[in-house]
Amino acid sequence: MDDKLAPHIEELTKALGNTNVLMIREELETLLKFRVPMEEAKRTVLRKFRSTFLPVKQIKDLSAGLKAFEISGRIIEIEEKTVNLHGNVSTIFSGTLADETGACSFTAWFDFSLKKGDAICIKNASTRSWHNRPELNFGERSDVLKIPDDSFPELEELTRTSPKKLNDIAYTDMTTSAVAMVVKLYHKNIKMREREMTIIEGVIGDDTAKLPFTSWIPLSDVDIGSVIRFDGASVRMFRGLPSININENTSVTIVDPSFEEVPFTFDSISQKPGPLPIGEILLKDGLFDVAAVGNIISIRPGSGIIQRCPVCNRVIQKNTCRAHGPTESVQDMRIKVILDDGTGAVSVMLNRENSEIVYGKSMFEAEEIIRTAMSQDAVFEDMKRALTGKYLGVRGNTSRTEFGVTLVAESVWSPDDDMKVRVSDLLGLLEPVGENING
Amino acid sequence: MVEREISYRLFAKEFNDSTFNIHAKLEQLNQSEGRAPNFLVTPAGLRINRLFVVGVVTEIDNIGTDNDLWRARVVDPTGAFIIYAGQYQPEAAVFLSTLEVPSYVSVVGKARTYEPEDGSVFVSIRPEEMNVVDASIRDRWIVDTAELTLDRINIFSDALSSGLKGSELHEYLTMKGAPENQAEGIVLALDYYQTDEGYLKDLKTALRDGLRSIDLTGSGGSAVEADNEEFILGLMKEMDVGKGVDYGELIGTARSRGMSENAVETAVRSLLSNGQCYEPRIGILKVVS
Repeated sequence: MDDKLAPHIEELTKALGNTNVLMIREELETLLKFRVPMEEAKRTVLRKFRSTFLPVKQIKDLSAGLKAFEISGRIIEIEEKTVNLHGNVSTIFSGTLADETGACSFTAWFDFSLKKGDAICIKNASTRSWHNRPELNFGERSDVLKIPDDSFPELEELTRTSPKKLNDIAYTDMTTSAVAMVVKLYHKNIKMREREMTIIEGVIGDDTAKLPFTSWIPLSDVDIGSVIRFDGASVRMFRGLPSININENTSVTIVDPSFEEVPFTFDSISQKPGPLPIGEILLKDGLFDVAAVGNIISIRPGSGIIQRCPVCNRVIQKNTCRAHGPTESVQDMRIKVILDDGTGAVSVMLNRENSEIVYGKSMFEAEEIIRTAMSQDAVFEDMKRALTGKYLGVRGNTSRTEFGVTLVAESVWSPDDDMKVRVSDLLGLLEPVGENING
Repeated sequence: MVEREISYRLFAKEFNDSTFNIHAKLEQLNQSEGRAPNFLVTPAGLRINRLFVVGVVTEIDNIGTDNDLWRARVVDPTGAFIIYAGQYQPEAAVFLSTLEVPSYVSVVGKARTYEPEDGSVFVSIRPEEMNVVDASIRDRWIVDTAELTLDRINIFSDALSSGLKGSELHEYLTMKGAPENQAEGIVLALDYYQTDEGYLKDLKTALRDGLRSIDLTGSGGSAVEADNEEFILGLMKEMDVGKGVDYGELIGTARSRGMSENAVETAVRSLLSNGQCYEPRIGILKVVS
C-alpha cells in the first residue's frame, strides 16, 4: 500500500513546494479510506494545502494579477495617505519594498505599523498592474511579520543605484543610473496642467541596448552624439518596455569620450542590430530596436484589407467605430504573422508599407483581388498562399500585450545570408564525426 | 497567459526515432488552468508539441473510408515525416487533395503518436498550416535544422560527460545556460532512451549527409535557379504572341541575353513540373495564365 502511494505523494510534494510530506500522506490516506478515486483525492489534497502553503516569490518574479503568495523584503520608503474610497475616508500606506532582486511599489490597505527600514515577510499578498508594472498589495487578510533584520542587505545598499547597462534595466528598477549616448533627440511642446512646456524626447544607447528617454528638464549642451552619465533617473514602463525619465531629481553630466573610455561609438550604436534568436527576445517583456529572422509559420486572421475609423484610427467593421459610432472608413492594409525560428515564436505586425513589401502586391492590387473574387477573405487567403512557410527578417520594437510578445516592424527584408558559408562552417564542425565512423 | 508553443526544427530521423510521449500531469494542469499540451520527447532531448518541417511530398493517399483522411509523406534528407489530415484539418486536407507530387512543402503541425497494443509507437504530424515553397526555403530549412540540432547534440554530449542524472543534471544544464525546456527534455530522454554518444554520433552523421545533399553549385545555388525560372517565364510571356513559344527560339533569345542553354533547360523543366508552363505541342511552350 505504502509503496503504491509513494509516487503520488512525491508528485504532490513537488507541486506544493516545501510542504510537510507526513501531512500530505495522512490527508491522502484518509480520503482513500473513503474510497475516493486517486485522481480526485490528489486534487482535493492539492486544493487544501495550496491555501496554507503559499508559493514564495521574489520581486523579480512578480507580474500583475498574481494572488495569494508570500514575499519578503525591506521597506525602503513608506508614506501614509488618506484616500476617499466610495465615500469612506480610509488611511493607506504606500511605499517601496526591495530585496536582492529589485524594488517594487506597494500599497498596504491596513495599518501594520510598518516603518522605513523594516524587514518584513508578507503572507497572502497579491499584485495588480499600476503604471504598467506590478504593484504589491496587502491588506486585512494578509499576515505581515517582522523578520530578522539581517535577512536583507542594508537600506543604503538597497537604495543605491549602481550604474547599469541599458539592457539590464527592468521594471524592478524604480530609478536607475547609466552611461549612454544620445542617438535621437527632439524637442516637443506639451501642455501640462494648463501650462505650456518644452520637453526633450529621444533615444539613448550603449553597447547592450537602446531605450527611449524623456527629459522634463532642459539639458544644456546635450545633443545627438553626446555621451551622458545620469544618476537617479526614474524608470517608467510601457507594455514591458522601460523608458528613462530625467527629472529634477536626476543628475546629468556630459562625459567626454576623449578623457573617459566608453565601450561604444555613435557608429556602433546606430548600426542595424544583428538578428537575435527569438527565444532570447522573449526573455524580455519589451525591447527597443531589435531584429529577428525566422519562418512565417502562420498568417493571423485580421490580416488583409481593413477599414479604419478616420478619427481614432481604430480598426472598424461595417462602418461603425466602437468609440465614434457610424462613420466613414479609411482603407488600410496590414499583415499579422507569427514568426518562428525554432527558439521561440513572436507575433509581428506589418503596417501597409511593410505589408506591401512582404506581400509583393500593393494595396490597390489587393483591392482588385477582392473585387474580382467578390470576397473580403480573398486577400487573406492569397496572403496565406504567398507567405506561409517563407523566411522573413524584421526590425522593430517588441512589447508584451495580453496576447504575448508583439514586434511592430519598422523595416522588413528577405534574409539572404550566404548558405555556402553556413554549410561549410557546419560541415567543418561535423567532419571529424565522419572520420571516426569511416575509420 | 500561456506562451505559444515553439515550432521546433528537427529532422525526420530524430522524429521517427521518438517513442516517448508524455501526457499532461496533474501538477501542470493545475498550474496552467487546465491547458497543458502533450509532449513527444525525442532521443536527443527535444520536448516537442509543435514542429515546423520543410520537405518534398512524395506520396499522397486518401486512406479514409467514410470520411476523407489524407496521408502524405514529406521527405527530408534523413527520412520521411508522415502527415495525416482528416475532417478536423479541413484546410490541410483540401491542400493535400489538390497538391502535385513531388513538390516542396512547408508544414506547421503538432506531433501525434499512435500506440497500438503491441508496444510499438507510430509518430506523425497533424498539420495546422501547409504551403508550397521553393527549393531555396527547403535548403535553408536543412541548414537551420542542422544548426539547431547540432547545438542540442553538443549540450546533450556535455550532459553525458557530466555523469549526472535527474534533478542534479537539470540543475547542471540550467547553470550552463541551457533553456528550461531543453534541460528538462535531456533529463527525460536520458532516463527513457538511455541515449548514448553512439546515438548522437549517428545523428551527426545524418546531419552531415543532409548538408551534403544541398546543391550549392553555381554562384548561390537554388536562389539563382529561382531567378532563372523567373527570367524564362518573363521571356516566354514577352515572346508569346498568342500561339506559344518555340523552344529553340526561346533558347536562342535566352542565350543572347547571357543565359546558358543548360540553365534554360533546367529552368524550363522545373517550370513544366511546377505547372507554371505547359507544352501544347511538342517543341512549343506556353505559360499557364
